Amino acid sequence: MSDATVFIIDDDQAVARSLRWLIETVRLKVETFASAQAFLDQYDATKPGCLVLDVRMPGMSGLELQERLTARGGYHPPIIFITGHGDVQMAVRAVQAGAFDFVEKPFNDQDLLDRIQRAIAHDAGQRGKEELRSQLKALFASLTPREREVLDLVVAGMSNKAIANTLGLSAKTVEVHRAKVMEKLHARSLSDLVKLAMQNQPG
Amino acid sequence: MAVENESTLLALVVLGWMLTSVLIGAVVMTLRLREARQRLRDKEEEHEAVLERLRDNEYRLRAIIESEPECVKLQAVDGTVLEINPAGLALVGAERDEDIVGKKIYTVVAPEYRDHYRENMRRVFAGESIVYEFKSITLKGRTAWMETHAVPLRDARGAIYALLGITRDITERKWGEEQARRHQTELARVARLSTMGEMATGIAHELNQPLAAIANFARGCLRRLRGGDVAPDDLLQPLEEICAQAERAGEVMRHVRDFVRKRETRMTAVDINRVVQGAAKLTELECRQNHAVVMLDLVPGQPRVWADSIMIEQVICNLIRNSVEAMAEARSPVRRVNLSTSRPDGDTVEIVVGDTGPGIDGVLIDRVFDQFFTTKPEGVGMGLSISRSIVESHGGGLRAESAAGGGATFRFTLRAIGRTLVTNERRYSFHH
Repeated sequence: MSDATVFIIDDDQAVARSLRWLIETVRLKVETFASAQAFLDQYDATKPGCLVLDVRMPGMSGLELQERLTARGGYHPPIIFITGHGDVQMAVRAVQAGAFDFVEKPFNDQDLLDRIQRAIAHDAGQRGKEELRSQLKALFASLTPREREVLDLVVAGMSNKAIANTLGLSAKTVEVHRAKVMEKLHARSLSDLVKLAMQNQPG
Repeated sequence: MAVENESTLLALVVLGWMLTSVLIGAVVMTLRLREARQRLRDKEEEHEAVLERLRDNEYRLRAIIESEPECVKLQAVDGTVLEINPAGLALVGAERDEDIVGKKIYTVVAPEYRDHYRENMRRVFAGESIVYEFKSITLKGRTAWMETHAVPLRDARGAIYALLGITRDITERKWGEEQARRHQTELARVARLSTMGEMATGIAHELNQPLAAIANFARGCLRRLRGGDVAPDDLLQPLEEICAQAERAGEVMRHVRDFVRKRETRMTAVDINRVVQGAAKLTELECRQNHAVVMLDLVPGQPRVWADSIMIEQVICNLIRNSVEAMAEARSPVRRVNLSTSRPDGDTVEIVVGDTGPGIDGVLIDRVFDQFFTTKPEGVGMGLSISRSIVESHGGGLRAESAAGGGATFRFTLRAIGRTLVTNERRYSFHH
């Protein structure tokens, strides 16, 4: 399948090995770590995949690891928490804090594998969007300050004539800038232009 | 005529002598009689005085018995009440003597206690002095608890003819005892429940881990077998893992059973180092969750101690938990529990549980063993109190210390087996 990796973080080595044995049946790459710190020490944000981790762990807890990853800023792979009996409250907190999903022990194998697949798909989607966003950013960066001004006013719904009046330019010059913007952003229509400008909004 | 005169004179003399003798005899007799009469009178007076004293004594005894606030009664061998004082009448709920005197005492003994009562009477008529308790239902229908001190009464020949019983109402005391007993049971239950609650969380986790691993390994195997792309050899490793995890779960269950089983104290020759290791294992999860580490410093080759290993394990677990909770509560930067065993002298083994927490406030250190004393928001305040009584029931002592720089230390001693034997031998030779 993809080159996605399932990162298993569990202090209980037997459980970690058993999860690896199970997850490898769906031909996913698996890496196991005995502690949250061990995972952080080799963490590479560019590796696609998802995290499967136990809420309760000695040392840095699963929740703390999630907080650390979030605090780093930027994108981090989705996290699936495994919770023991009676830890539902903790799981809810984890999801509120941005966890992708949680499964309660004892779990159904298919259920866990489905959730892992969903998380990986989500990760791929996020990474794709991330990719698009950075491409878009590069395109927008190629605009000159004047072209940027013209674009903003076009997107604001102003006519060429109104833009010309506002910027103190001739209608003809505005027309030229506008054509240049369309060309640079590979936009074929006004609605394309508006969509692209929206997508480039931060967030 | 002279001879006649002489003989007359002689006759007169003889007569006179005889008369004199009779007279003297009469006087002596009279004197003796008077003396005897006097003696008789004296005896009579003496007798009268004795009778007087006896009557006085009897009056006094009767007055004492009559005014005695406790029930005093005489019973015949068949249980017939021969005599009873007013306090006794009141106790059995009788208005007049004839309500109970001449009747069987069993009429006021609760049916389920009659056999017990009969047996006690038999013992008294066999010559024993005893104290016994029984439940009574009085003539007025009141249920009461009684305590009787009974002694045999003997006649001049030493034959036992009656039972003298002094009986008092102990209903209130019994009730108090019952309350106290219930209270104790309740305390023990609460303490047990709270420990059980703590343990249950730990047990659930400890069992879930191997069960989850077993399920994962087994399902991994099934999926591969169903997919048809697996060599039998590839399944060996996961199947072995399954076996190992099943054993791990079994080990957890063994511990649970040991803890939950209703049991009497079982004293055996115990390797204290193993008990300490067991306690460290049992509290592993709580330590991990609270980011605390346990350091063991066990001097090898300790003599065995005579102890109930499960109880001592519970004491050590309790001390470890207290330390871990105190350190977590105080957010201690370093959270370490030091467990050590040593042999301060030849006769004892000492177990020390120390921590790097905030220690115990000087004014509180004397109170930590009090029942219901706790510094934990959810605490019951029974742990240390129970721990101390367990250690004391082993003939040892549990002490708390707090260092100036922080850190609490609890230490207790248990007697090494070697010493007990030596002491016994000594005592033995002393007596023989």
